[in-house]
Amino acid sequence: MVRLFASFLALVALWPLAASAHGPTRQKVTESVEINAPADKVWEVVGNFQDMGWHPAFVKTEGKGGNEVGATRVLTLENGGQIFEKLNKYDAEGKTLSYEITEVDVKVVPVTNYSAHFTVTADGDKSKVEWRSAFYRGYVNNDPPPELSDEAAVNAVTGVFQSGLAALKKKLEGG
Amino acid sequence: MPAPRRAIALIFPSPLWGGGRGGWSHDVLDSPSPSLPHKGGGTAASQEADLLITNARRHRFAFAGFAALLTVLASAGPAGAEPKAAREAFVTNQTGDSLSIVDLAAGKAAAEIAIGGKPAGVAMAPDGRFAYLTSPDSKELVVVDAAKRTIASRFKVGEGPLGVAAHPASGVVYVADWYEHRLFAVDPAAGKVTGSVEVGRSPSGVAVTADGARILTADRDSNEVSLIDAVTLTRTAAVTVGERPFGVTVDAESRRAYTANVGSDDVSVIDLAAGKVVGTVKVGRRPYAVALAGGRGFVSDQYAATVTVFDLETLAVVKTIGVGEYPEGIEADPSGSAVYVACWEANTLERIDTATLEVTARIPVGDGPRAFGLFLRTSE
Repeated sequence: MVRLFASFLALVALWPLAASAHGPTRQKVTESVEINAPADKVWEVVGNFQDMGWHPAFVKTEGKGGNEVGATRVLTLENGGQIFEKLNKYDAEGKTLSYEITEVDVKVVPVTNYSAHFTVTADGDKSKVEWRSAFYRGYVNNDPPPELSDEAAVNAVTGVFQSGLAALKKKLEGG
Repeated sequence: MPAPRRAIALIFPSPLWGGGRGGWSHDVLDSPSPSLPHKGGGTAASQEADLLITNARRHRFAFAGFAALLTVLASAGPAGAEPKAAREAFVTNQTGDSLSIVDLAAGKAAAEIAIGGKPAGVAMAPDGRFAYLTSPDSKELVVVDAAKRTIASRFKVGEGPLGVAAHPASGVVYVADWYEHRLFAVDPAAGKVTGSVEVGRSPSGVAVTADGARILTADRDSNEVSLIDAVTLTRTAAVTVGERPFGVTVDAESRRAYTANVGSDDVSVIDLAAGKVVGTVKVGRRPYAVALAGGRGFVSDQYAATVTVFDLETLAVVKTIGVGEYPEGIEADPSGSAVYVACWEANTLERIDTATLEVTARIPVGDGPRAFGLFLRTSE
């Protein structure tokens, strides 16, 4: 924890540089889940950009602009950390939306330049939900500390995707 | 291949996988590197089962790839004769840590070979015998024997090699170093750096003029293009362009250069003799690179998932073509009939017909193709 805090201080010192550059290796994470519920019903839950309440990691969603392109939201984690996001594409008919993180502390999520797509595909009475993302690690210079490495970034995103999709499946199949 | 480390996850699964309320966390530092996408969801147990299956599959692929490589080696014959006629694309798969060699006539990948170091940049030797790849993570230049489809050599270059280009006459390879803010001149046969020159901040794309006189670097964080004398390896000028130029492309006449500006979502048109920008073209979000064919520019727009086509004389946009997500490396076939673009998220190399301006093929390649540079092999 002390080491993490120290690296965080170092990062704050580097922040003006960090905001304007990133290293050469973009990462991607794709997770999907089959849900035993109609696509319309799934989209009712995940298609509301202003409510991430279905994801156990987020205790609060506040935002404005509804589901219009350019809408914003702030996700708050249990520990108080916040993630600021913006809606880039929204297609209710195709059941897909794209968004990006406009601002986040790398201590909260160890990623930069993060964008993601969320798609629900009907499969008869069932659905497939796919969550895909592209991002760079939290440390923008060479030779990152382990907590801000490519692996750390991929692990964090993978963890959030998997826990979220598992909770979504449980919510929709259970209710 | 990071696969073996994955096994650790089965012993120490991340607390996040259980669907707990932990949120984002740094507590999983020792978790393995899931740098390959993996499917599945549901319970932690079923995910672990999925991971096991994925693992097994990955090993099988690795073995199949190795077997395919042996077959290729055997069929190449004792003299190592080059395969006939086929025009190929050498596509760097950064996420997959590999190189896909695509047979363009057949419209499919003929081989995928492991590279390491997360390859991104690519250039071809003037005679087409070698492909030069940059691996930023291992800080290497990797030389691939194009006919044998094997790694001929690899060696360290700088701290963050990314953009790469080969001189059309001398065969000297130029490598831009993202972190050192320098351009290195490399003798690929000797495997060593022979010279370097300081450029702007975080140079990304590199291009050499067709006449061999100049080298250009797109200096992303200086919003400039450096013009470098190829004989003396000195920086003779810096041209201010749009925000965050990434790819840079020079026309066949060595007259104009084009940069894709990630920050300002446009393309800067540089007159090389005058050393200044003479036009700007608004394109889709996060443009990556530019290809030139039949009097038109083709721009890969990463966030927009489009290729913007514009007229090189009027600079008017002709069409916006939908392609796979995150289009990146883009190059025109020398025949002028097609443009090929690597789509990082879609894992495809897509062919655009320059007459109809439609996508006519989507060729599956490895994971996370970038193909940043000139990746088409035209020899034979």
